[in-house]
Amino acid sequence: MTGRAPVAGQTQNATLNASINGLARLSLSSAAITFPDADPDAVPSIQATQGPITLTAKARTSPNGRITLTVRANDHLRSGIDTIPASNITWVASGAGFNNGTLSAASAQIVAAWTGSGARSGTQTFFFKNLWSYATGTYTLTMTYTLSAA
Amino acid sequence: MRILILVLAVLFLVPASGMAQKLELSVALSPAVITFPSSDPDTVPLVSAPPVQLTYRVRGNGNSPWSLTVLAAGDLLSGPSAVDISNVTWVATPAPPFQNGTLSKTVAQRVASGTGNINPDSIGSITFRLANSWTYSTGTYTQTILFTLSAP
Repeated sequence: MTGRAPVAGQTQNATLNASINGLARLSLSSAAITFPDADPDAVPSIQATQGPITLTAKARTSPNGRITLTVRANDHLRSGIDTIPASNITWVASGAGFNNGTLSAASAQIVAAWTGSGARSGTQTFFFKNLWSYATGTYTLTMTYTLSAA
Repeated sequence: MRILILVLAVLFLVPASGMAQKLELSVALSPAVITFPSSDPDTVPLVSAPPVQLTYRVRGNGNSPWSLTVLAAGDLLSGPSAVDISNVTWVATPAPPFQNGTLSKTVAQRVASGTGNINPDSIGSITFRLANSWTYSTGTYTQTILFTLSAP
């Protein structure tokens, strides 16, 4: 005997909002790169002991935003008063969007670039131009990587 | 003896017409705006919005089933950018009658269900979660979702 009125249903709207802000993260498999001593005649180009360095770059940007990963030497290779140009260090890259290049103390060099948000991985294998003209010593420089989104 | 029979007739007839109840359903959300904060996908792979309190009531339903569903009007949108709405899931309590699920823009998904009446108001809690990803373009995304409380 229970009465029932036809009911389509009671509804309630809600609004979902999600904020996605710009963000970038870079990680390297090794923070140090070492070139062993070698005979310039036998080894004119010395490969870094660490072999390929893996770089993982993650970034969020606008739909057509450009992501750029660069590296710059803070100075030439130095050992006391002796110097070797940073440009004597080159690298061979692998991975989508990664480029081969030559280190520079004058300007940042592009290591990788792509369009839009996402994560990319690639490798850099560094080589040192070996010459008889170098003064003996232990040379050091610092490289700075910059991951940026436009 | 004749008087007693008349009294019984009244007792049976009057309540029968009085039990004819209208089905009443109500559902309310607080807050009605659900916001996911921006987070680092590496450290927060699943972004939680503050819990939503859902107040609902079912009256005049007898022993019939009722259900509460949710349907998204589309993907999360920010200009030309979209995040598939299936990246939004929820965790709801108490269970039962509530259940966890994943938002859909094509098929209403069940949030809660039961049988009979819910009277007075009952309260459930729903926490929406967004699967976080580096692939999302920057922006402020929005979409409407529709909760429907129904009794067939």
